[in-house]
Amino acid sequence: MNTTGPARSTLSSQPVLELRDVAVPGRQHPRLADIALKLEAGERVALLGPSGAGKSTLLAVANGLLEPAQGEVRWDGISRARGQRARRRQQARIGTLWQDLRLIEELSVQQNLNCGRLAHWGWPRALLNLLLPMESEACAQALRQVDLEPHLLNQPVGELSGGQRQRVAIARLLRQQPQLLLADEPLASLDPRLAQDLLQLLLQQARAPRALLMSLHRPDLLQGFDRVVGLRQGRIHFDCPVADLQGAELDALYAGALEASSAR
Amino acid sequence: MKPAPPLLLLLPALMLVPVAVLLPGLMHGGGWDLIGQFLLAAVQPSTDPVVVNALLRGLGVTAGMALLGWFASLLIGLTAGLASSRLLWRTLIGHSWPAEVVRRLLAIPRSIHELIWGLLLLQVIGLQPVIAVFAIAIPYGALVARVVSDLLDSLDGRNLEALLASGSAPPAALLTAMGPPLLPGLISYGGYRLECALRSATLLGVFGLGGLGNELLLTLQSLQFHELWSGLWLLLAVMLALEAVIGTLRRRWGMPSRFSLRAAGVGQRGRELVLAAALLIPLVFGVGRALAIEPAALLHWQALPPLAPGGWSEALALPWPALVLNTVLLTVLAAALAVGVAPLLLLLVAPWAWGQRILQLIWAIGRLWPPPLTALLLLFVLKPGVITAALALGFHNLGILGRLLLEGSEATGAQRQEALRSSGCGPRIALLYGRFSGLARSYLAYGAYRADVILRETVVVGLVAGTGLGSQLNQSLSAFAFDQLLLLLAAYAMLTLLGEDLSDRLRKRLLQQ
Repeated sequence: MNTTGPARSTLSSQPVLELRDVAVPGRQHPRLADIALKLEAGERVALLGPSGAGKSTLLAVANGLLEPAQGEVRWDGISRARGQRARRRQQARIGTLWQDLRLIEELSVQQNLNCGRLAHWGWPRALLNLLLPMESEACAQALRQVDLEPHLLNQPVGELSGGQRQRVAIARLLRQQPQLLLADEPLASLDPRLAQDLLQLLLQQARAPRALLMSLHRPDLLQGFDRVVGLRQGRIHFDCPVADLQGAELDALYAGALEASSAR
Repeated sequence: MKPAPPLLLLLPALMLVPVAVLLPGLMHGGGWDLIGQFLLAAVQPSTDPVVVNALLRGLGVTAGMALLGWFASLLIGLTAGLASSRLLWRTLIGHSWPAEVVRRLLAIPRSIHELIWGLLLLQVIGLQPVIAVFAIAIPYGALVARVVSDLLDSLDGRNLEALLASGSAPPAALLTAMGPPLLPGLISYGGYRLECALRSATLLGVFGLGGLGNELLLTLQSLQFHELWSGLWLLLAVMLALEAVIGTLRRRWGMPSRFSLRAAGVGQRGRELVLAAALLIPLVFGVGRALAIEPAALLHWQALPPLAPGGWSEALALPWPALVLNTVLLTVLAAALAVGVAPLLLLLVAPWAWGQRILQLIWAIGRLWPPPLTALLLLFVLKPGVITAALALGFHNLGILGRLLLEGSEATGAQRQEALRSSGCGPRIALLYGRFSGLARSYLAYGAYRADVILRETVVVGLVAGTGLGSQLNQSLSAFAFDQLLLLLAAYAMLTLLGEDLSDRLRKRLLQQ
């Protein structure tokens, strides 16, 4: 089995991610209801919606952190594995870019990048990595892919600038080599220029057999995505190619969002 | 090639290797059936009303001694802490040298363990309930004093200057400017001291100063394990309740946790605080009456027996290097075991939800179970010596450090652990990388402080396991050889002060990076 790249297996005919009739109950309106969503290999899908629409919940379901009360989630055509080991193998193929990055400040850049490989390493390598950071060449290459200099490898993450940290987090994803890339508003707190750069980076990495599902806080960043899914009050409002998206649909998605969110 | 923080955390556990190698040689063959009986008895404690009543009475005495000793230590500590504050002296007389003098003097009572104070008082004034109270109050008071003066001197003095400049009287200005910021740290530390006082009071009982500890020792020596466990479970219930109450109050009043490195916020809910303080005073007097405490008894000294012939030359002829070396070895071994084993155990049980609960129970037992009793139990199967003593002392401190580590790991790194888990990491590696990374330095810094406490505590197991300054101290005490005693106490004090300095430096280095 090829452990260094996303598996280009016979499963490629199956969607990378499939949600069938998924529902997550909430207090006033359901957090998610009647969600049906498919991501084929190579697809880059943006998730839009006002705050509270259920974007983060949907990503948590896609990531496996949250088990939906109803419906089914399949990764590569396989539903949630029951065995511990099988479940971990499944999780290793799902990469998440967290909004708060979740880097380990006290460790060096290289040790953080190697966190992407920890799922495949045994104890000895995981411990050794804390003494002598491992796989320098692969780490340097991951840094170059996100336009960072390899000399940063030995720096503690705590000493990096905000933009550098974003890139390190993406490089960690590259080290993980997941099949499904999930990102929860990764650009929300960035200045427009940096946001544009990082978006391009992510889009570049999300070529077949990978798929990307990313929630966005602004509809003007849609360029480069294949499809856009609009979410409102936990339900899918529209799901269409970016080119087909009408201004009126967008307006309807966000209409009354202000009142809705202040009424909650 | 510098080990990263999570690895640093595991390094002290390397001490397990020599211990594991030497342990088989220490076993004397017999006694395993006794250990088996002891463990079995845990699930069938005696419920005989006579036994339970005796234990409850003992528990009441122990709790009362702890409360009184703690209260007295707060009074002593507050007064002595103010007297050793540089800031206070500078404000009042313009110089800070009296503070330095008081500080140096306070190092002496602080460096001597409460058990030694207890045994000394026992020799001088005979068996009185007041002994245990003051045995706790004297060293605790000096410890509280250090914390108070350190807290005071680390506060920003500008508020005080502003008040003084506007013409306030110095005492009023001090109270206004320094009282509110001092209070949270003080109450948090005070609560912790009450927990310690309960443990110390139990320990003093083991050495015959009254209360539950005495009952525990007697039941252990007569191999009445069922009765022993009745006492242990009772003590466990009281200690866990006390810890829960103190923890709740600490959170409710917005006090910093002991582990937190952040500066203290100002305490809230002032009215509740005042009420609690007002309730404390009648409680203390009530308990004092119930235990027939006579502070005046402290003034009636017994005539001391004459010194043995031989005098100083005999005292100097003691095997000093071996005594000191054994004590240092015992400290290092016990500290490394306690500091290193806690994270190792947490990693071990990480995959199982119930594993942590079981650890918490074992640690709680370790905290309350006096180390000399552990040493006695170990002696059923092991020969006396440094390692046996270190195991007993290490187990006790493991209970304290383990709880702290668990509290700390619950407070930090949850998201990072979740991120690692959701990318397919195993539970142990996710705990090591995600949570221990952020915790390592502050935990080890606390461990350095704890090593310093362990050095003082070596006397407790030294008396049982027959090693180091502690056992010699016991011999000299029972022989009324006060010249030897004086030298031994001086050696202990020097060692403690040296250790304090070393651990201070280590702590600073750990926290700076």
